[in-house]
Amino acid sequence: MESEKIKRINIDNVSKSFKIGCKNADGFLANLLNIISGKEPQRTLQVIDGVSLEAFSGENIGIIGRNGSGKSSLLRLIAKIYNCDSGQIMTQGNLAYIDGYGLGLKQKLTMRDNIYLVGLLMGLDKNEINKRFDEIVSFSELDNFIDTKIYQFSSGMVNRLSFSITIHCLEHNKPEILLLDEVFGASGDLSFQDKATAKIEEFLNSGATVILVSHNLNIIKKYCKRVILLDKGKTICDGDSEDVINTYFELIKKSKTI
Amino acid sequence: MFFCSLSKQYVYLLNMIKAQIKKLQKIIKTSFALAKVNFVLRIEGSYLGIIWYILNPLAMFLIIILIKKHAISNVYIKNYEIYLLIGVISLNFFKQALSTAINVINSNTNYLKSINNITPEILVMAGLFESIFSHFFDLILIVGFMLFYHLPLLGLILYPVLFFFFIILILGISFIFATIGVYNKDFNNVWLIITQILFFLTPVFYVIKKVDYIYIINLFNPLFYFLLIARSLLMDFTMPPIWAMAGLIIFGAVALVVGLSVFNKYKHEFSER
Repeated sequence: MESEKIKRINIDNVSKSFKIGCKNADGFLANLLNIISGKEPQRTLQVIDGVSLEAFSGENIGIIGRNGSGKSSLLRLIAKIYNCDSGQIMTQGNLAYIDGYGLGLKQKLTMRDNIYLVGLLMGLDKNEINKRFDEIVSFSELDNFIDTKIYQFSSGMVNRLSFSITIHCLEHNKPEILLLDEVFGASGDLSFQDKATAKIEEFLNSGATVILVSHNLNIIKKYCKRVILLDKGKTICDGDSEDVINTYFELIKKSKTI
Repeated sequence: MFFCSLSKQYVYLLNMIKAQIKKLQKIIKTSFALAKVNFVLRIEGSYLGIIWYILNPLAMFLIIILIKKHAISNVYIKNYEIYLLIGVISLNFFKQALSTAINVINSNTNYLKSINNITPEILVMAGLFESIFSHFFDLILIVGFMLFYHLPLLGLILYPVLFFFFIILILGISFIFATIGVYNKDFNNVWLIITQILFFLTPVFYVIKKVDYIYIINLFNPLFYFLLIARSLLMDFTMPPIWAMAGLIIFGAVALVVGLSVFNKYKHEFSER
């Protein structure tokens, strides 16, 4: 008998827009002048427009769409990094949001210090990092560089390290909702990629709700049964991965002919 | 029945308080770790970084000592050098800590956008902790002078208590300045002007009497209360006036309440800027 599924994420008709200043008026005097002379005209950019979504435990959902379609903004709304203008977002369970922008690794720190720093930023305490330290190092295959500063690493080494720290911190936190934004690109060489893929699969089969944003459609197709296509902040379609990816191709073709 | 619902409410309240304390502990722990890393980076980058921090008040100190005879000769105070040093160093700490607060969100938006564990409060506290680490070097300088002038070091035992209330005040203002800094990228220029005014308005290098009109103005200046207490503790180890202690605590509490409410109102927009 299939165990009862818990509703982890419920997004109800959520919208989000950003105000984009026409002039760069971030200065104190400029702001003061604006108050005196009336507000500077601003343009609004609708990044998410009436999106609704429900996600259950054990579900892996892929989100695809062109650049600027609102994928990352949607994840940040779910992670409560952004506040929505209207609608409601409810999440139930321990949530982790990871994006691929380097995790805050500090170039001038050694690998050891970076592991402790990022571990702390991701919510582990010192003893917990101590326990995981050896695993993180050996998984990244950088045993000989523990006291080397990161700026001397090649980009592949940095990728391996940041992947290894992320995955081990996640293993410790055991999130029930995992939001991944372009995280699993090509990190390291082929043998490392195999290892990394195996680790990711562990997560995807762990019963957590995973939402994966990626431009790599092979990854999406492989891991997500359900895929959502976003365009200009709206849900274009939500369904079986094969169908949605085909619609995405059609959308791209159409925009090319226009 | 009534007692049952009351005890339920009590348990609920207790759990809520426990959760808040846990949250606060996490904020302090993470911000302290972040501050430590940033501080080590600053020192390792160049040891001169910390020397610059000390040189600023030290240069001011030397200039005032040099011109004192000609320009401000009406100041008669025993151990004027310590009096001046405490003033210059406290003002410098106040200035640096708040100037860090103005930029702290802008220079760390990548953390806010990328890691959902990092809240804006953590960044503000980390900035403040970093300034506090630098202040230890100030204290070394003060202790050196106290030893040189054979002053009793007992006051140093109570200094942390006084410093704690000063930190509460600075934390409150930091929350306000961090918010202003997000929307006004050049607010540091305004802060530079304000600190210039503070330097001449606060009795940093001169003494004020109760009859002076500047005394009335200083009653609205929290730095004045801090200096008054710090000097009586460190210079003569006497009990500071109660009204000065009350003044510093009231200013601190008001700053913290106002700061937190302003910060909480706007903090959800910080990651969007």
